[in-house]
Amino acid sequence: METDPLILSRIQFAANISFHILFPTITIALGWMLLFFKWRYSATGNTAWMRAYFTWVKVFALTFAMGVVSGVTMSFQFGTNWPGYMQKVGNIAGPLLAYEILTAFFLEAAFLGIMLFGFRRVSNRVHTLATFLVASGTTLSAVWILALNSWMQTPAGFEMRDGVAYATDWWAIVFNPSFPYRLVHMLLASGLTVSFLIAGLSTLRYLRGDRSESMMKALRAAVTAAAVLIPLQMLAGDQHGLNTLEHQPQKIAAMEANWETGANVPLVLFAIPDEEARTNHYEVTIPNGASLILRHSSDGVVPGLNDYVGNHPPVLPLFWSFRIMVGTGMLMLAVSWAAAFFLWRRRSLPRPLALLMVPMALSGWVATLAGWYTTEIGRQPWLVSGVLKTADALGPVPGGHVALTLAIYLILYVVLLAAYIGVLVHLSLKAAKEGDSSPLPGVLHRPLTQPVAGE
Amino acid sequence: MIDWATLLPLAFAGLMGLAILIYVVLDGFDLGIGILFAVAEEEDQDPMIAAIGPFWDANETWLVLAVGLLLVAFPEAHGVILTALYLPAFVLLFGLILRGVAFDFRAKVPAGRKRRWNRAFLIGSLIASLAEGYMLGIYVLGLQTGLAAFAFGALVAVCLSAAYAAMGAAWLIYKAEGELQKKAVKWLQRLLLFTVLGMAAVSLATPFASPRIFERWFVWPDLLYLSPLPLLSGVLFVYLWRETFHLPKPGDRHALVPFLCLAAIFTLGFFGLAYSFYPFVVPDQLTIWEAASATESLGIIFAGTAVVLPVIIGYSFYAYRVFGGKAGDLRYD
Repeated sequence: METDPLILSRIQFAANISFHILFPTITIALGWMLLFFKWRYSATGNTAWMRAYFTWVKVFALTFAMGVVSGVTMSFQFGTNWPGYMQKVGNIAGPLLAYEILTAFFLEAAFLGIMLFGFRRVSNRVHTLATFLVASGTTLSAVWILALNSWMQTPAGFEMRDGVAYATDWWAIVFNPSFPYRLVHMLLASGLTVSFLIAGLSTLRYLRGDRSESMMKALRAAVTAAAVLIPLQMLAGDQHGLNTLEHQPQKIAAMEANWETGANVPLVLFAIPDEEARTNHYEVTIPNGASLILRHSSDGVVPGLNDYVGNHPPVLPLFWSFRIMVGTGMLMLAVSWAAAFFLWRRRSLPRPLALLMVPMALSGWVATLAGWYTTEIGRQPWLVSGVLKTADALGPVPGGHVALTLAIYLILYVVLLAAYIGVLVHLSLKAAKEGDSSPLPGVLHRPLTQPVAGE
Repeated sequence: MIDWATLLPLAFAGLMGLAILIYVVLDGFDLGIGILFAVAEEEDQDPMIAAIGPFWDANETWLVLAVGLLLVAFPEAHGVILTALYLPAFVLLFGLILRGVAFDFRAKVPAGRKRRWNRAFLIGSLIASLAEGYMLGIYVLGLQTGLAAFAFGALVAVCLSAAYAAMGAAWLIYKAEGELQKKAVKWLQRLLLFTVLGMAAVSLATPFASPRIFERWFVWPDLLYLSPLPLLSGVLFVYLWRETFHLPKPGDRHALVPFLCLAAIFTLGFFGLAYSFYPFVVPDQLTIWEAASATESLGIIFAGTAVVLPVIIGYSFYAYRVFGGKAGDLRYD
């Protein structure tokens, strides 16, 4: 059997990074959510907040571990499959990756031990500080990684000498044109993912008859956060789209499946784009829709794929992943606003809505992955736009090896994902059974006095 | 005028070496405790996990830092080494993933499934250690392939795993109490033999695998200056071996001594290897300076590293102090 190392390596990278991103997406915002719980506890002295903290810090620990182990894979992968990447742009990617590792290391992994297991061993203040530092660490890591990713999308601040990129302006490299938009979009995505995760699993407990104060507090906080963040995300997404239109018009053309540049371009709601025939089948459209959204005027000119023949990303996956992301976002808006209404006005959740909210626990993952597929596939055939083609970065690894490792990775990921979700459900059901009856945690503002050897 | 183009690659080689050494010592005991799950009773397993619980995340991050520094400071070497070691690197990652998630899953799944994840923890730790040993063996031989290289890699794999298990046992002597501590002393005693064998194998193989390294070591008077490395290791081994017959001592004196001894032995071995390979980052193929990134990029990274690394080390001491002494129950609240 013929095995093509390029496509296999691409699938492998996609599999590894898709698996990896699931977990940081949760830890970035969950850290801040935990800090919020911790702050409410310190401010009110109400131990229900602390119970909510302990419930969710377990999820944080598990998710963080998944993120660490899948992240180790990432740091090896550049060398094993894509050595051409660092050879060509290593002078720019290197420092950004180094800072990512240093901050991740510096704040996250190092303070995690105290955040997870140190509540009885350090003062409340130090424990809150550890939580804050871990949350800052995850967020800062995201900043560096998104700076690098954005630079690959819209490179700036460098010059090519003998086929190798050299930095000329680090400010321009970090704050490249798409970076602020991508950063905001991703941080909001993380917030929404966590909000729906907490809301979904709390609703599972709710459906089991659990009405404990700590669960209701977490549920209300999560639903409120979701209801506030989703309109902000829609605005941020729109702005990000306009930024892409300016800097990567071929990506927009493929996302909208618009084959001809022109005015009065309709918004395609449903279609099966066909790249061979360069047309859409089974189209359902809204007249002038795309022109209105992208140019804010019905006769605005929208770029079409005819301007980029042979040099644009594949249309079908881009078109659909974008629609999955937007569709999930719409559903999030409806569900979070309905839930917020019922929780704040009626103080209860209707059963059909609750039943919908449980699977929506994973809606953030769906939207985040769909969004990343849109932007990453949308960069093809380039690895670094205009600088390095994906095919040219591939290392000399035999296709058979890549196929073998890819198959094992995929099996491992499926097993781990099933186990992860299984554990989340198990923890929720267990918490639902126990309610708020477990013994109270340590005392406010002072570490619990417990004998420690050597003292 | 400081010659940054010469100095920075050297500094990064030093930093990377430091990160690898710290990783081997720290994650060595984590992985070792995983390997010791093979012989541990079920009631010992929770205290064993508690002994590494607050540390392992940060310990594994040293590997990310080491590989990350290789990637960003010596990108070409990263490519050469990891494409040559494609499959063992994959096996290592597989093991590390399994070990890392098993650690968390075993405490959170329904009680009936705990044993399954205990087994995963053992298998993951074992494969990761074997893979690291194998990669070390092949690297020492200058990334050779063939049956002899494979056999040597396999030998180093077994010995490094045994050495890690010895580290795990030594850590347990420090963190555990009662029966488990006594068992750990017995484990350490047996594992020391393999550790000695492994270090001897690597020490002898390196000069014979490469004439260049042979000439670096067996030249007068260099041999004299270098002799403390093997001699001191030998003394430490003998001391540790004798100590295992007297541990645990009344009042738990010297509980940390075995671990510090092994860490010192690892450090000596590390300096031996570093001396052998200098100035190469890929043995006999790429020197530190040939493989280095552009000087200005290294400068940017160096500035950050110089600030962050001391803080990390300082913090690590703090964390080890907060969680110092005998391991209690591992609990979130």
